[in-house]
Amino acid sequence: MILRPVGDRTDWRVEGAVALLLIVLPAALGAFGAGTDLGTRILILGLFGIGVDLIFGYTGLLSFGQAAFYGTGGFVTAHLLIAHQVTNSLGALAIGMLVAAAFGALIGSLALRQVGIYFAMLTLAFGQLFYFMENSPLRAYTGSENGLPGVPKPSVGALDFSSSLGTYIFVAVIYFAGFFIARRIVRSPFGAVLRAILENPERALAVGHNVPRYKLVAFTLAAAYGGLAGGLLGMFQGYMPPEAFSIDQSGEIIIMTVIGGPGTLIGPLVGAGVWTLLRQALQNVDAIAGVWKLILGVIFVLLITGFRRGLAGGAIAWWQRLRAAR
Amino acid sequence: MALGLTIIFGLLGFVNFAHGGLFTVGAYAGWQAYTRTGSYALGILAALAVVFVLGIVIERVLIRHYYARPKEDQILVTFGLGIVLVEAVRAIFTGQSQLVETPPWASGALQIADLVYPQYRVDVVGIVALTLTAVWLIVFKTRLGLIVRAGIDDALIVEMLGIDIGRAFMLIFALGAAVAGLAGFVDAPILAVNPDMGTGVLVQSFVVIVIGGVGSFGGAIVGGLIAGEIVSLTSVFAPDWAQVALYLAMAFVLIVRPQGLLGVVGRA
Repeated sequence: MILRPVGDRTDWRVEGAVALLLIVLPAALGAFGAGTDLGTRILILGLFGIGVDLIFGYTGLLSFGQAAFYGTGGFVTAHLLIAHQVTNSLGALAIGMLVAAAFGALIGSLALRQVGIYFAMLTLAFGQLFYFMENSPLRAYTGSENGLPGVPKPSVGALDFSSSLGTYIFVAVIYFAGFFIARRIVRSPFGAVLRAILENPERALAVGHNVPRYKLVAFTLAAAYGGLAGGLLGMFQGYMPPEAFSIDQSGEIIIMTVIGGPGTLIGPLVGAGVWTLLRQALQNVDAIAGVWKLILGVIFVLLITGFRRGLAGGAIAWWQRLRAAR
Repeated sequence: MALGLTIIFGLLGFVNFAHGGLFTVGAYAGWQAYTRTGSYALGILAALAVVFVLGIVIERVLIRHYYARPKEDQILVTFGLGIVLVEAVRAIFTGQSQLVETPPWASGALQIADLVYPQYRVDVVGIVALTLTAVWLIVFKTRLGLIVRAGIDDALIVEMLGIDIGRAFMLIFALGAAVAGLAGFVDAPILAVNPDMGTGVLVQSFVVIVIGGVGSFGGAIVGGLIAGEIVSLTSVFAPDWAQVALYLAMAFVLIVRPQGLLGVVGRA
């Protein structure tokens, strides 16, 4: 499992485009009348979604329990920082991410015993297990339904990222690193095997790949991405909300990934942006403020039925057709 | 006791991610009919009828196009549908929780040995048993059930025999939906109706299926009883852990017997 890129090794245009997007995003959101904070929120969800995309878009595993890792990473990071057990933002994030990944390996080893709808059911159930753990037995550490207030803003050494733009930059750099690594992963031989599993698990097994092992590694990676994003959420808000563990959170990240386009890595970011902006726009119109989720739900159902590739997936396919025609 | 209802959910792989929403719609339809007419029986009828028709519409318009698509797409579309149903209910009836009165004939309490049970819960057990029997009869003793079971194994062969498999699938989907709706209404006096009432029930029914065994009729019943016992016993000794214990039990079953207690290997 050496992470050696498949194909053109000198093609950095995608990374460049993403970096450019991250730089212009705050200004673009400003033009829409939205603040930098909204951009930070979208990036955090986009990072969370990269993990979902790794298991769903590239491996075909549909998990409804990703909030378990988002919440775990978030609460571990928040708790460490609040209790001053770790004073370094990056250190706390790393520990939160590792704990989430460890739970990912544990839950994955159980849930991956099933496939299809039963895998989805199991992940949903395990997601609830984490939710109830946060809520009752661990309430001394998690604040139960109050969550954890007072999470310090990010800082690295003498560098202070506590302003709104500062937090955006901090999150954007981490998002870019996460995207960069995920792209190395999916373009490596390891990623090729994941795609083989997506297309035909039996065939992947038949040619001698250890399919359960590959699935477990992908699931663990996804949990790590979730944990990292959760840690950032607490820092960004200055507060770690218990909703990070909720079923709705697990569902929404899947919806965002599907709207944006699974199997693209950038899709979840696009989906998170569309979801967050649409939600805000709909909530600002009085007549439909109460039904914003109904409208987004209908859009989601229509998208899966008629436009399975999602927005980013559709755009990429269009671009490739255009280039092929030339 | 409410878990008894989730047993029905788990039968025969009817369960899908939209069932939480159908459960909610059934609860609201039955509650409306019941409070307007004062007749519990009409409430049951309304819950069954509304969700049955809704099931037919959903199957014809949407689900029908998904049989040939990947399982993941089926999960996604039913999940999305569940959201649409719940949010539609919220839009019409607001998100507020509404208490549903227990029917007068079931308002007392029943004493069995040293244990006191609310009468209504005992009646619910009766309704569940009746529904279970009816569903079992339809699936295993009628021509429709036979066609559907054959169709799940090999739809092509069934069609070659000149049978309209699409119609059979539609009916069984609507039947599963109607049962979910009925469960919603019967549960309403226990849970109170609110748009999100179906979510918890949906997750619990998943747990019941995993514990009892995938695709096993008896397993769903055993799983439901075991799950009920776990929750009520831990509620007595360690209330904080009641819900957690249920999921830990599920994890334990997965480790020692991945196919579930009464599940058959290879029917996933």
